[in-house]
Amino acid sequence: QRLKAAVHYTVGCLCQEVEEDKDAQFTKQSIAAISEITFRQCEIFAKDLEMFARHAKRTTVTTDDVKLLARRSNSLLKYITQKSEELASSNMEQKEKKKKKSSTAKGERTPGEQEAAVTENEDSNM
Amino acid sequence: GRRSSSLQDKSLCVTGQKQMNSHKSWSLSPEEFEIWDRLYRIKEGDGIKEPILPRAQFETLENLEETPEPEEGAARELSLCEWSLWQNQPLPTALVAHSDLCHLFISAMEMMELMRHQQGDCSYERELQPHLRMEDVNIPGNKRNIPGNKR
Repeated sequence: QRLKAAVHYTVGCLCQEVEEDKDAQFTKQSIAAISEITFRQCEIFAKDLEMFARHAKRTTVTTDDVKLLARRSNSLLKYITQKSEELASSNMEQKEKKKKKSSTAKGERTPGEQEAAVTENEDSNM
Repeated sequence: GRRSSSLQDKSLCVTGQKQMNSHKSWSLSPEEFEIWDRLYRIKEGDGIKEPILPRAQFETLENLEETPEPEEGAARELSLCEWSLWQNQPLPTALVAHSDLCHLFISAMEMMELMRHQQGDCSYERELQPHLRMEDVNIPGNKRNIPGNKR
């Protein structure tokens, strides 16, 4: 329930942005419906991602698995691929910065954590 | 016994060969083409329009799919929402069961049907409101409102 509430809140905020953007109105019911669909869609995404990773004999979900979720639409795939490249390059920059500093501070995330973060990000974009 | 099975093998072979002969290429044989042309092909005089599937389009993304625009009104676009009132329960299946995604769709349609007549106040919202923890949510647009949230 707590998760659903968070999704519902976030969907509400996104819908508000769209409302301002497009000068249209969402009923509360339509926001609720989008939330519920988003919530359930996450279960399906999660299962698919797990299967895609397993299909490639991995236990960690990577951005390649996420791209497979978007394979049906060229537009979506292009968008996701761009985002993933942006993320990858910003991750590289951050790593590099950290390397320069890291003689004093050890704050690097493990690759697994990074990938999980990427997945979350892109899920919420869809 | 052994004999009948070898007979079966032979007959399988024969029919297999026959089919192989007429299916040498990927396309229809002249006989098959004749059948298709006579029974199934949609022609101008038939009074029905060519069925086409709607194209996926993203409102919020640049569209890459090129849409081979058919003449307006020459084709009948198959509708996926015309019968939405029929979609809040699983329809019969033959060999392929409904998928998870399909069940998601059905339950979403059912949920919308139940909320159709609600005015203003929303039961879904009422139910979830008490469970909301602000630490769970992080909206890019609201970032400026949350102090100490740097990226």
